[in-house]
Amino acid sequence: MALEKRIALGGEGGQGVQSAADILAQAAFEEGREVLYIPNFGIEQRGGVSLAFVQIGEKPIGSPKFKQADLIVALSVRSLERLEPYTGAESTILYDSSLLAPPEVADAVVGRQVYNTHAPEAFAERQLTDQKQAIPEITTGVKHMLGLPAGEIAQNQLHPRVSNIVILGALARLTEAVQLNSLEKALLKRLASKLERDPALKPLNLKALRLGWETLHQQVSV
Amino acid sequence: MSGKSLKEKKEEKVYPRPVSGEKRVYMSGNEVVAWAALACGAEFLCGYPITPQNEIMHFWSRLAPRYGRKFLQTEDELSAGFAALGGIMAGARCFSATAGPGTVLFQEPLAMAEMMRLPLVLVVQQRGGPSTATVVYSQQEVFLTSFGGNGEGLRVVYAPGSHQEMYDYTIKAFTTAWQYRFPTLVLGDGYQAQMKEALTIYDPPARGLEAAPAFPLVGAAGLPGVDREPAHWRNTFSVEEELFDALQPLIIDYYSAVPFLTEKETGFLEGAALVVVAHGIVGRAARAAVGELREKGFPVGFFRPLTLRPFPDEDLRKITAAGPRLLVVESAWGQLNKLVRMALGGTGAGRAEIYTYLRPGLGITAAEIVQEAENIFRGYAEQEAGEGNNV
Repeated sequence: MALEKRIALGGEGGQGVQSAADILAQAAFEEGREVLYIPNFGIEQRGGVSLAFVQIGEKPIGSPKFKQADLIVALSVRSLERLEPYTGAESTILYDSSLLAPPEVADAVVGRQVYNTHAPEAFAERQLTDQKQAIPEITTGVKHMLGLPAGEIAQNQLHPRVSNIVILGALARLTEAVQLNSLEKALLKRLASKLERDPALKPLNLKALRLGWETLHQQVSV
Repeated sequence: MSGKSLKEKKEEKVYPRPVSGEKRVYMSGNEVVAWAALACGAEFLCGYPITPQNEIMHFWSRLAPRYGRKFLQTEDELSAGFAALGGIMAGARCFSATAGPGTVLFQEPLAMAEMMRLPLVLVVQQRGGPSTATVVYSQQEVFLTSFGGNGEGLRVVYAPGSHQEMYDYTIKAFTTAWQYRFPTLVLGDGYQAQMKEALTIYDPPARGLEAAPAFPLVGAAGLPGVDREPAHWRNTFSVEEELFDALQPLIIDYYSAVPFLTEKETGFLEGAALVVVAHGIVGRAARAAVGELREKGFPVGFFRPLTLRPFPDEDLRKITAAGPRLLVVESAWGQLNKLVRMALGGTGAGRAEIYTYLRPGLGITAAEIVQEAENIFRGYAEQEAGEGNNV
């Protein structure tokens, strides 16, 4: 059967969901596959849920969105709730098992939102806390629930801001649509301007990618 | 200030061609528009930011200086449109891009362009409406782009459905605008603007696509009235008859160009009992759905207008003359459907039975269209069975 993967990713704005999705699609493009990536977010400048949809296949891709995802990646509880409609019996959910608590918005006080939500850059730099949010019950029942402590891996071994790249490495391997070297190529291309400003980010990101690529695979095959 | 014109200044330096050879790339729709405009020799973007088309301006303003092109951010869309018209009168290939409420404000410069035959190119990336609504997506600007001004809708509206078409038709829009001298619009949407997919970019002249030459409409050499006819570009008239007389050549020119302008894509029409009609990004879902339905044995065809204005009326009439029903699918509450009904009105084919699947502001997947078409066929079967029982 022709390869056809539908992937939905979700997180809080600033967690790097869009970069991860874009790099995955770019890597599949480099391998000559048909790809379509579309970001989806609302009008919030801060504190919004950020979703991304990626399709990888061998035939031209139809509509940019789809009804059911083969793979779902969730970096926050709120985003997993938003992705629930895309889950089905054939879906695999990959989540960050060192889940960050999503920012709280004090709706009761007009204007407080700005102070109570985290700027994306602050979110990326944030240290993990012990408070993990309970994963919502996925009522439809899915094929697999795979937890990867991407946040912990990134914080303990590298830097908190590359946790999205750890997740990306794990996700990419699950798709069976891309090789690690094209993923690395796509990552360097996507982050070129950042890496130019701060060359130390290059080994950091490449290590994160490799850790994600290997860690989940080892867990799953056990 | 050196006092030199834009053209003179440009001649001082030789800039590289923006695209050389053919290149397979993966990029967003907004980036595609910027590259297409650069590749086909657009000189000046006058615009005002609005989501979801902002990146057209981002990419253009970043890339333009490398190729000797210009960018002006105005105070609003009215200014952007009129500044572009001023540039066009001075002989520069000006264009703009907008969306949603910006498309509303653009109607005034567009109407002036219709009246004065100014080749304005405008890229519209539809967002949700009415009013501010969403910054994301819809197909609700079909009527606005086709007929939005105070006038007769003497415009060309292309509706691309992929990044390849976004590139091809942005280039084509400049050719059409300068050749026919009617404002020409490229109608995309927020999904096409933001999504990334692969396409092949190319240098238009290398494929034999030479744009009609741009030339100044004012400031020609010689004394007006003595050495040459005075240039008199009017959008104001004293009395009704004067306007009526001025409109005649415009209308005649527009409608004589219609057969050369209309474009469509069709598929699986042979023996079709139901033809799915969709445009733009929804056309992709429709194409996929029709393929799937044919595999399941349903006699379904596909019709996608690539020009929404002028609409390929004749082509659709020929199809409906064979008797199929239509299923109009769109992310709006019946705007494409109105164009379809206008196309079929007054003919025998106008009695074609039209089903609709209308989802204003929502994306539409192939699976939904398959479901809808199957329901329609189930309906027929039940109806026929019912009639059979009555006999």
